Amino acid sequence: MTEPKVRCLILACGNTLRSDDGIGPWLAQWAQERFGDDPNIRVISRQQWTPDLAEDIAQAESVLFIDCSIESAPGSLRVIDVEPSAPMQGLATHHQGAPELLALSCDLYNTQPRKASLLTIGAGSTELGETFSEPVLDAIPEACRLLEETILNSLRDGDHCK
Amino acid sequence: MSQTITIDPVTRLEGHGKITIQLNSQGEVEHAHFHVTQVRGFEKFSEGRPFYEMPSLMARICGICPVSHLIASARACEAIMSIRIPRTAAQLRRMLNLAQMIQSHALSFFYLSSPDLLLGMESDPKTRHIFGVVAAKPEVGRAGIALRRFGQHIIELLGKKRIHPGWVVPGGVTEPLEPAKRDEILAMIPEAYANIALALAAYKQIADRFRAEIEVFANFQSNYMSLINEDESIEFTVGALRIIDSSGNVIEDGILADKFPDFIGEAVEPYSYTKFAYLKSLGYPEGSYRVGPLARLNIVKSMGTPLADKELDEFKELANGPVQSSFHYHHARLIEILYGIEKIEEILTDPLILDKHVRAIAGVNRLEGAGQAEAPRGTLHHHYKVDENGLITWANLVIATGQNNNAMNKGVLQAARYYVKDGKFTEGVLNRVEAVIRAFDPCLSCSSHAFGQMPLVLTLVSKNGEVVDQVIR
Repeated sequence: MTEPKVRCLILACGNTLRSDDGIGPWLAQWAQERFGDDPNIRVISRQQWTPDLAEDIAQAESVLFIDCSIESAPGSLRVIDVEPSAPMQGLATHHQGAPELLALSCDLYNTQPRKASLLTIGAGSTELGETFSEPVLDAIPEACRLLEETILNSLRDGDHCK
Repeated sequence: MSQTITIDPVTRLEGHGKITIQLNSQGEVEHAHFHVTQVRGFEKFSEGRPFYEMPSLMARICGICPVSHLIASARACEAIMSIRIPRTAAQLRRMLNLAQMIQSHALSFFYLSSPDLLLGMESDPKTRHIFGVVAAKPEVGRAGIALRRFGQHIIELLGKKRIHPGWVVPGGVTEPLEPAKRDEILAMIPEAYANIALALAAYKQIADRFRAEIEVFANFQSNYMSLINEDESIEFTVGALRIIDSSGNVIEDGILADKFPDFIGEAVEPYSYTKFAYLKSLGYPEGSYRVGPLARLNIVKSMGTPLADKELDEFKELANGPVQSSFHYHHARLIEILYGIEKIEEILTDPLILDKHVRAIAGVNRLEGAGQAEAPRGTLHHHYKVDENGLITWANLVIATGQNNNAMNKGVLQAARYYVKDGKFTEGVLNRVEAVIRAFDPCLSCSSHAFGQMPLVLTLVSKNGEVVDQVIR
């Protein structure tokens, strides 16, 4: 916990072998290439979000989670605020959601990011495969624009706070 | 009227299984079985593949202990190639295997079992998980998460991926260790020492509260098997197998991988997809034995590192001879984490660890090969046959959970007989029966997972199929 805080942490999640579930890692890679030289931004892409990420969250001023959504219409994009929330049922040891990770970060390290958001892309297919469905392919340009805008906003918000 | 209690699925395990408990007309436990309900098929679908693909394929068996499968598989391939790997490669593999042991033991102890140990077997199941531990004992939660991260980060640094790293190959490893990575790992060591010291102290404080569980959690005499070094110290990556009886007498020693089938047989039961390994000299099921942390610490004379040796001395005072209660797997796991940290530090301070010669190259020189290694939860054995082109014609895997299978079933029966009274059970009883299995930390099928929330239903069913009682978690 001695490392300086990053301004914006991007935490992507998904399986690149399950079609649209891989959109999170794809956008993470895009963000890495777009912002890779900026020390204020850190990108972590995982197949699953696990409790150890709580420490990375605690070291960030803002967090943007990226995941696909099987509940949204295929290709639809949403950015919502995320609040900490402890799980009501038994915990999955292999995977946590964004609210649970935020709560864990708060419980363990007594700190949480100033802002936490979740960008979701509605999945058209999560069958075995390494290509995206048509709706998700069509949504990629807008997803990149939204991702860039959200990151830049979080950096600007951080400047206002200083 | 006889009744059956079913716990399906058993929670906080690596994979999916269920438990059935058969009651007689007096409500007493007659039989209990632990079922592994998945079929995997790795031995069959590897047929026809080139032998050098086997380590990567076999690593996919498990998302928690892929490194042990990588190593056992690579060693089997090296037997086919008839080669010895460079010393530095052997040490790098040893470090990778220890890092995996640390992260897997941290997962088992802190994530899966510490909710029972620190919050209580009867505590509210809604909060009996790692979040509950973090809320009640944040320092222990932090230590557990940090130790798992420590092991995973070493695996990622060496193998480029936390899960299923491809760095271990037949002949050694794909590339040497860079000085910057060595320094990064060494810098993490002091915090790891502090975390395991905290965990050991916390465990010793609460262990006495579990006298009843220690008494009935698979607490019986059995044989034990593990790898061991020539100097009788603990070993995870090379060495030969030793088997001891329940009094600690050595009954078989120096078993190299190619001789494994001479000593170990495999039986099947109709209620489980997992095989039941046994000692051929004693037959089935009398020849059942235990593997994993408890077996390793019962067998070795030393850990070979100073801090872990002190802990081993204390551990061995738990019994006059082998420690028989499987509840003590938890304690053994923590001692092995400490050993792993010490050994990794020792390996990294050897200048030869940066040597560039880390891979031997050869083709097919034998048509059969076997390899073995210690996974976190016990001994792994891989045995392959190939044709002249190096294509796999036959494969057999004996995994840790199969070797503990008899003991787990016997342990479930022992605990059920103690806790289930007059055909009645509570959530706390249900949890204790599951906790017997958790103590072994079986890996049923780490690479398969249920989608969404996993329900836990315990049902009492009469002989004619009528549901008499049900608890749903």
